[in-house]
Amino acid sequence: MALPPSSRPLPEAGRPPAQLALTGQAPLRDRLVARDERALVELIEVASPWLLGLTQSMLRDQDEAEEVVLEVFRIAWDRVGSLGGEHEGLMPWLLRIARNRAIDRLRRRGRWRRKAERAEALGGLGPAAAQFQEPDESASPGWHVHEAVHAALKDLPDEQREVVRLAYFGGFTHSEIAKELGIPMGTVKTRLRLAFDKLRVTLASIQDWVR
Amino acid sequence: MTPHDWYIENRAAYVARALEPREERLFADHLVRCEECTREVATLQRDLGSLPMAVDPAAPRPGLSHQIAERVLRRRARWPQAASGLAAAAAILLAVGLGVRERRALSAAELAVSDRDRQLAALRDTLSIMRQAQHVVQRDIAMGGHKGGLVIFDDPVSHRWNVVMHGLPRAPADSVYQFWFITENGMVRSVELRCDDDRPAFATVGMPNTPGAVMGAAVTVEPAANRAAGPSGPMLAHIQF
Repeated sequence: MALPPSSRPLPEAGRPPAQLALTGQAPLRDRLVARDERALVELIEVASPWLLGLTQSMLRDQDEAEEVVLEVFRIAWDRVGSLGGEHEGLMPWLLRIARNRAIDRLRRRGRWRRKAERAEALGGLGPAAAQFQEPDESASPGWHVHEAVHAALKDLPDEQREVVRLAYFGGFTHSEIAKELGIPMGTVKTRLRLAFDKLRVTLASIQDWVR
Repeated sequence: MTPHDWYIENRAAYVARALEPREERLFADHLVRCEECTREVATLQRDLGSLPMAVDPAAPRPGLSHQIAERVLRRRARWPQAASGLAAAAAILLAVGLGVRERRALSAAELAVSDRDRQLAALRDTLSIMRQAQHVVQRDIAMGGHKGGLVIFDDPVSHRWNVVMHGLPRAPADSVYQFWFITENGMVRSVELRCDDDRPAFATVGMPNTPGAVMGAAVTVEPAANRAAGPSGPMLAHIQF
């Protein structure tokens, strides 16, 4: 299971590239709380490519990925009022919901299917392909965050990055990772903890880009 | 090494969702009681909030954005229909309540037929709301040798949650069954659930009006006098949304 190769994201056919809230406009979150339907449309246009990229890479099923993205926006529209201003940005909140929903779906799938997916994901990837890909330049909103996260991941030792990839993006549990990599479970836990300690230092300074 | 050290060591794994399902439930139960871990987990989630953006974006297929917007917004337009369903449910529940008061005046046979009709009507109405629900969560719960259940389902149109608790005896003297929302910032008190063996508790609640996203819900047995503090009594159910 690996992240998909980088590619320049294309704007939706027939539509201009998505733009963030314009200067002088009320923040998107405030407009969503005020039930501004146009704000929801803007959010969908800006956030969909990232949510779809995440869910497709985790679920490896486009229809299911789209279902999760729809769920995420339903939840966002229903509960944006309960999102605390200081506690979490709008985009990280959406991504967290999407990742959790994708993991829930992965775990509901039959064991045989997960095994097949694992074999498929790892069988087709050599050590180099299992790395996070270099991002291409793009005018896509949020691309600077994508690059910053890539840089942070690239700074991790290979063995820590691999555990993050399997756990955070693959929905693998400790024991599954230990079995997959042939290392003790304690080592998996340690690598994940060390990786997160490093990542949080770098990523904590990234501001939410959807305002 | 104390038992709490296990939770400290596994905060990262909980955020990554790398814990085994049983461990994840154990950790979630712990969060309900541990402010320190709740705070640290929320901080870690916030600090790593951008991490999912490591994945390359994917261009939506033509028309998908429009389709999503339409499907999310279209549900609101169905509010009057759902509102009438909820009103009917409320009326039926009220009728069931009033029926209990009238019980003494009815013969045993009339009572049995009447109760069954009402229960059936209430069940039909509850099911009609559940059919629209996007999320339905069910947990078995036990209290004093009684086995019951807790069902939580959302009404996507009114943006409220319906909570049904059944099969439990009346709460012990000077105690209440308390329903809580679990948010990133701790437990937020919601409604008391009044359960009585053959009569389920039914409540419709809004999301808590406090900062922090809602992560789950819980039911505890609380002293009736304890109206202000956080949970202190035994945990009957703990659910992650």
